[in-house]
Parts: sequence; C-alpha cells; structure tokens
Amino acid sequence: MKRRLTFTLLVLVAMMAQTTFAKTLEIDVHGMTCAFCVDSLERKITAMPSVTKVQVSLKANKVRLETDGDTPSVETIRQAVLDAGFTPVKVTVISDEKNKE
Amino acid sequence: MKKIKNNLLAALSISSLLVIVAPVQGMGLRSFVALPVEKDGAMARFAYEHSHEVDTDVLSASVAYGLSANQSLLLGLPYRLSPSGADRQGDLSLLYRHIVWQQDRQSGTSRLGLLGGVNIPTESDRDGAVQAGFVFTYFQNRNEIDVDALYQAGVEDRPASGRYDVSWQNRLSPANRLDWGIPPELNSVLELNGRWQENDGTVHQITAGLQWVHQKWVIEGGVVQDLNATKDWHYLLSTRFHF
Repeated sequence: MKRRLTFTLLVLVAMMAQTTFAKTLEIDVHGMTCAFCVDSLERKITAMPSVTKVQVSLKANKVRLETDGDTPSVETIRQAVLDAGFTPVKVTVISDEKNKE
Repeated sequence: MKKIKNNLLAALSISSLLVIVAPVQGMGLRSFVALPVEKDGAMARFAYEHSHEVDTDVLSASVAYGLSANQSLLLGLPYRLSPSGADRQGDLSLLYRHIVWQQDRQSGTSRLGLLGGVNIPTESDRDGAVQAGFVFTYFQNRNEIDVDALYQAGVEDRPASGRYDVSWQNRLSPANRLDWGIPPELNSVLELNGRWQENDGTVHQITAGLQWVHQKWVIEGGVVQDLNATKDWHYLLSTRFHF
C-alpha cells in the first residue's frame, strides 16, 4: 500500500514537472506599415522558443504572442522587434496561467 | 536606313537596359524605398518590362538581404530580350543601403537611407560604374511616399547616368484594418520617374499601376509613359517574395 502511494505520488510529481503554463503577451510596436513589411516581424517572433501563436494587428499596432513554456524575456522580445526593423514601445502580459494558480 | 534605325534601337535598348534595376525591397513599382529587410531576411523580385517603341523585353532579377535591421545589400541583374535575337545580359548592380535616420510612429514611419555601390559589367565591351544616392520613405495610415535619387559615375568610357523616382502609393483595400490578422491589400501606385544619361539628356516618365500585396508575396503591374518627345510607353509586371 505504501509502495503504491509512493509510486502514485512520484507519477503526480513527474506530471506536474512536465506541465507547461500558457502565457499571452502583447507588444506595442511603432513603424508597422503594410502586410508585406510586417511579415518579417511575425517570422522573428514565431522563431523564438516556446512561442506557439503570433497575431499581428496593423489596426492597433500590436503583436500578440502565446507561449507554452519558458517565456522569452522582455529584452529578447524587444531585440526581435528591433531586428525586424521596427520600434518596440511596450510589452504587456495579458494572461499568465502560472500566476493564476 | 534600316541599319541606322536598327543601330539606334539597339543603342536605346542597351541604354535602357543599363539603368534598369528593379528595386526589390518595399512597395514602389520603380522606386527604392527605405522600408526594412529584417536581419538575416531576404526578398527576391522578378520583373518583366516591355518597351513598346523599341519592341524589347527586359527581365530582371533582384535580391535584397538584411545584414541588420538598418543595413541591406541589394543585388540586381537585368537581361534584355530582343526580337532580332540580340539578347544581352545587363550589368550587375550591387548596392548597400544604410538607414541613417528612422522615426517610427503609431500610424507610420519616416526613414532616410543612403545608397552606395557599384555596377559591374557582365560583358567585356562595357565599363563599370560607381553609384551613390539616397532614399526617403514617408508612410502614414493609407499612404506611402518614396523619394530616391541615384547617380552613377561611369568608369573609363562609360557615360555618367542618374535617376530619380517620386512614388505615391495609396491603399485602396481594405479601407479599414482588421482587429487581428493580415488580409491582402490592394494599392494604387503613381510615380514620377526620371532617367538621365550623359550626352543623351533626361527622360521624365510617369508610371501608374496596381499592387496586390499578400503577407509573403506581391504581384504588381503598371504602365510607364515617357514624357519626352518620343512618348514611348512601357508596361511592367513583377512579383516579389519574402523568404
């Protein structure tokens, strides 16, 4: 019985260790212009580790990204925007499942 | 008489061939622009231009590579096809563009870039050139204005030449942006262009066209009307890819 409980506990700990926490961030970007021009920005953000989804709003001048693991640092995100040729203004965390728990 | 006419047409064809370099980056039909090619990113453009008067077709391939967010390398190689079969490869244009001033806003951007490079002859009977110029882009809401000028100083027997372009692009569709996502766009393009060559004068041109802009590719076409005495007209089709 004790062994079974220990095994169950170990499995639970292993599962928790593998659990990933989704995070959604929005980047305010200045200088975005046409559809063809912002493709580079979408590529740079998509190429970052843990990023699962990227959406661009030319209306609101924002890029929204979702991550499912270690979220890239604000500095990494800012550098990706700069490398794409645009100006990052602000990075905002929209939702963070890890901090909800 | 026919021989003289053929020689004249050939000279005109070669002259136009030597100054055609389809700018690859950005959205002018014939203008250079100062919009970004991202670091380690590349764009390719394939253009076809038909000259009605001279009955000559020019195909050109151009590539832009982003060395950094504000430094790009632009390569262009035209190829002329003529009905007489005297096809000729144009000169390889190598240009370095450095964005020296950039002011990004929520609704647009203004950028100034400097251009410098060389024209490398691909055939032994032609000489090369050194080229320098500038490009300015202003983008606000639905409108983009590009202004550029490029001067080519010929080496040895090659005459000096130059060009200018003033381009206005207006987004016709969609009238309003979506909240999220990047739908294709349709732009109108109107340009005033000038091509000058030493001992041969300046030809001012007006170009009107349309662009269908997808996130990863562009298809565009337009008509070019010479404003000098010959009133020659050309049409051009091109496509660009981002990879």
